Amino acid sequence: MSGWTPAGVLGAGLQVAMVVAGAPLLLGAMRQVRARLEGRAGAGIGQPWRDLRKLTRKEPIRPRGTTEVFRAAPVLLVATTLVVAAVGPFLTTSSPLDRVADLFAVVALLTLGTVALALAGLDTGTAFGGMGASREMTIAALVEPTLLVAIFALSVRVGSTNLGAIVTSTLHDPGRVISPVSLLAAVALLVAITAETGRLPVDNPATHLELTMVHEAMVLEYAGPDLALVELASAMRLAVFLGLLANLFVPWGIATGAGVAALLPAMVAFAGKVTLLGVALAAGEVFLAKLRLFRVPELLAGSFVLALLAVAASFFLA
Amino acid sequence: MSVAAAAMGLAMAVAAVAAVAAVITPASRRQPVVGVATAVAGAAGLVSGVAAMAGSGYSVALPWLLPLSGLAFAIDPLGGLFVAVVGGVAVVTAVYGIGYRGHGLGSRAVQASFPLFIGAMLLVPAAASAGTFLVCWELMSLASLVLVVTEHRHQPRVAQAGLWYAVMSQLGLVAILIGLLVFAAHAPDDGFGSLRAAAEQLPPAARGVVFGATLAGFAAKAGIVPLHAWLPRAHPEAPSHVSALMSAAMVSLGGYGIVRVGFDLLGDPGRWWWLLVLALGAGSAVYGILQAAVHTDLKRLLAYSTTENMGLVLVGIGAAGMFASAGARVLAGLALAAALLHVINHAAFKALLFLAAGSVLRATGTRDLDALGGLRSGMPVTTALFGIGALAASALPPGTAFVSEWLLLQSLVHGLPAAGTATAVTMPVAVAAVALTAGLAVATFVKAFGVGFLAKARSPAAAAATESPPTMLAGMAAAAAACAGLALLPALLLPAVGHAVAAADAGAADPAVRSAVSLRLVGVAGSLSPLLLATALLAAAAAVLITVRLVARRAGRVAPLWDCGGGPLTARMEYTATSFAEPLQRVFDDVLRPELDVDVSHHAESRYLVAAVEYRRRVPDPIEQRLYRPVLAAVAWWGSAGRRLAPGSVHRYLGYGFYGVTALLVVLAVTR
Amino acid sequence: MSDTAYVQLLDLACGAFLLAAVLVLWRRELAVIVRVFALQGLALAAIVAVIAGHDRSAELGALACGILALRAGLLPWLLRRALAGAGPAKETRPLVNVAASLLGAAVLTMIAYAVSGPLVTLAPSPATHAVPVGLTVVLIGFFVLVTRRRALSQVVGFLLVDNGITATAFLTTAGVPLLVELGVSLDVLFAVLVLQLLATRIRDTFGDTDLDELQELHD
Repeated sequence: MSGWTPAGVLGAGLQVAMVVAGAPLLLGAMRQVRARLEGRAGAGIGQPWRDLRKLTRKEPIRPRGTTEVFRAAPVLLVATTLVVAAVGPFLTTSSPLDRVADLFAVVALLTLGTVALALAGLDTGTAFGGMGASREMTIAALVEPTLLVAIFALSVRVGSTNLGAIVTSTLHDPGRVISPVSLLAAVALLVAITAETGRLPVDNPATHLELTMVHEAMVLEYAGPDLALVELASAMRLAVFLGLLANLFVPWGIATGAGVAALLPAMVAFAGKVTLLGVALAAGEVFLAKLRLFRVPELLAGSFVLALLAVAASFFLA
Repeated sequence: MSVAAAAMGLAMAVAAVAAVAAVITPASRRQPVVGVATAVAGAAGLVSGVAAMAGSGYSVALPWLLPLSGLAFAIDPLGGLFVAVVGGVAVVTAVYGIGYRGHGLGSRAVQASFPLFIGAMLLVPAAASAGTFLVCWELMSLASLVLVVTEHRHQPRVAQAGLWYAVMSQLGLVAILIGLLVFAAHAPDDGFGSLRAAAEQLPPAARGVVFGATLAGFAAKAGIVPLHAWLPRAHPEAPSHVSALMSAAMVSLGGYGIVRVGFDLLGDPGRWWWLLVLALGAGSAVYGILQAAVHTDLKRLLAYSTTENMGLVLVGIGAAGMFASAGARVLAGLALAAALLHVINHAAFKALLFLAAGSVLRATGTRDLDALGGLRSGMPVTTALFGIGALAASALPPGTAFVSEWLLLQSLVHGLPAAGTATAVTMPVAVAAVALTAGLAVATFVKAFGVGFLAKARSPAAAAATESPPTMLAGMAAAAAACAGLALLPALLLPAVGHAVAAADAGAADPAVRSAVSLRLVGVAGSLSPLLLATALLAAAAAVLITVRLVARRAGRVAPLWDCGGGPLTARMEYTATSFAEPLQRVFDDVLRPELDVDVSHHAESRYLVAAVEYRRRVPDPIEQRLYRPVLAAVAWWGSAGRRLAPGSVHRYLGYGFYGVTALLVVLAVTR
Repeated sequence: MSDTAYVQLLDLACGAFLLAAVLVLWRRELAVIVRVFALQGLALAAIVAVIAGHDRSAELGALACGILALRAGLLPWLLRRALAGAGPAKETRPLVNVAASLLGAAVLTMIAYAVSGPLVTLAPSPATHAVPVGLTVVLIGFFVLVTRRRALSQVVGFLLVDNGITATAFLTTAGVPLLVELGVSLDVLFAVLVLQLLATRIRDTFGDTDLDELQELHD
């Protein structure tokens, strides 16, 4: 299905704009929810944008002894997330970049962003950077099987791993959403997404203790506009992952045809679903503590088993 | 005469000339002459293979060349694919070898064996009878053995590595010999045509023996677990361009053998054999990359990564076989195309990685990642090329391995409804195994590139590294260009791969491709455009850079790294490769069983003050511990039991012969 | 040569051939053994000469002369030279005592007759009837090789084997091509030279050529 229609191009552009503009707002909303539940006043939904603005106004600092990898990593991170934001089935199922909208390709692109950051962490030559990179790569390596097998489970009924095709087929067959396959795959993906985006219980995004840092340790040396890019990228990744989770399982509201008019309700639906998911995630985080790094593989193994069961169910219940 | 035949003839002639030239040229000009000649031979081989893949095949029989059976050659698209792979890798390594000086590399024997090795490897996929195949295979093994032990005068470990390699390659040859002999015994002669015709009447037991024996031999050559022990020993000790040649070209001939015997000659050995192939492949892939993730010797890491990639190839071949047995020809063609494409991709990036590792070894004198680092400042080109190779190897877009792994995953994912509970159980496990290897591969290559090349140098040798000579860089650059081409435009290659699949009679030809820019799978729903992905990525990166330039106006400055106020950071504070892999090693320590040694020395004044802590970790190969050692111990026990037969008395020895002959004569007389 | 004379001469020569082999097994003194070996060479040459005379072949006649020169002349001379350098000329007690050896020789003769039965029935002729003799000498030579202690006696055993093979060849096919015979003879010559050299070395190192002493070298 060729997406080079006005609706398709406009949809892709709007998706990117929404993700870029809305991701810090999503992050702010999640932090605000956590703060309120913990009895604090909170900094407001717009605080992440205020932080980004502050960071871009600062002086760019390049640590001595680092190479181009350190400078290129934030750019690459944001670029991969932008591409995923453009191809994902967020506002429309017919994207102009349909040839890239393969679920395996999308997952691999997001891993590419993680790799860029890990290399930057190693490039600093500090113990923090190395430690963060090491832990991040361990978690990423162990999350891959869950992600890919969950994608497998999703694609069996549809017969394709193309994102647009999966969403369209779920739209045509609403009963599939509450089947055991979908539920198991959804839970497995939720755990995997928690690991990939560095949320509790895998990683605490608000910590700066070296014993507990994973993502924060890698980006410790970044300052100024580079740090702004990294923060923006991590918010965008969260938004993109939540968007994928939402639209793969609950796609109603998405624009399927070539009509431009369907994009407005699609935007509202997307924003609503992602915010809802984010708020639920944040509320859940209040009750969780961070796991030891060496308990994380057990969690990921559990999610892997769920994904495997989803695949088995899709075969035996076919 | 067809293009393929002419090019192959030229390749053989030039290789022979190169071998002779190696013996007669004086030492000062030996390496350039042999290098150039071998590169020409490799290029001719590449042309021949590509022409064969495009359809121009040929066959020639030379019955007078060898007693008893003669030699017969025929090249079809399947063989042509492997000839092209060997030719391409040969060109790159030969150019690299012109400038690669080292201990023992300039000697006549080594320089003469190099073109002989390449010539034999070019002939193996072109063999058309069992005798020819075995002769070329053995020639390849012997030539490579000479090359592996190049530096044995300089390093005693090299001789031991050569011994392992020699024994395992000869045992593999014996296994292949048994398989092919049993096969040829049921056919009028040993040509591949007669074998194909006789395959239908083969009794099931013989079919099993043939496939089992040849699988064992070819799997040993491909470095599949549990017959992989020679790979991580021989590759680090061989000179780097020889390691590249062996890892990129020679091990893929193991895969060629399995496809040729399993699909083409035998027809179909049965679903359970293909399941075994798939299981072996999945096991090797996971085991190989796990070992690579925890090793710090750069070339050993790459050798284990070869085991992993060959495992993935075998997963593809096994899946193709299972689908073909079940009648799903489209899927079988897709899986086999994925496996063959992975062979090509692996050749490209593994050659690049080994050559870059050789460059590092030459500049710093060490292969240990824990002692490297900071090579970006002294060796920028090598660093960039290794980075390209690492991206290509780690199955991330826009890398090379991503395309073939995507194809493999597509074939596995669509294979679920194919047939039977066997596939229903194996496909998810296979997908999980491929996914785990992909994840671990990413971690491994981040370790290799990040620890080895970035940040600060961890030893004086690494700090003093300088860039390699231009011929070495040219060889590496050619391999990198091949990686980039394969990554961005794989659709151009797929019709040829489809011909190879059809030649193997495995499935529907032409599994994909509509346009040159993207892959669209035929028969199953799926499409991917690596070029579009790369372009989108570049465009996004450009957009980000422009935005940052517009928004962040202040000029930057250089500042020291954060050191917590404790003084400037030294290289000792950096994460090493051992520490990077430690979480992974802990997660998998039931499989890896590392040996840890922690040595704490205290201050003389107080036991509570620690003066130094020494941490030593060794990860032995568990398969070696649990499989090889008992086998070798049993063989040694047999040997010492046999020594009782040899007490030193000459009369006893003569008596054995005499009594044997007499007993035989008596039996002869009695049983008439 | 008339047929009866041919058969009688052939049988006589074969009988002498076999007797010489048995004598090697019977006598213990090395000097006597070498002399008996020379006699056997003479008997072998006689066999070939008789066949040559019957077939009227000049080539076989030349071969007979060559065999005479080599096996009745050159080889015994080499052995005597080796013997001259040796110490006590007597053979030490053999591994199997003389009586048992002779019984063993009888058993070997019976085996040889049983085995070569089909050969004889394949192409019956006076020559092929004598094939069992050749085979017996081979087996007796092998037996000597196995049961003697002194290196020199073992060399004689080896040469007996070769004599037996040559006799069998001539009796079954009326000769082997000249080239083969030359090659075999050259091999034998070299073997004897090498063995003599080795025996000298062993004697120089250990003072004796009793091969059982060599067992001490085994660890």
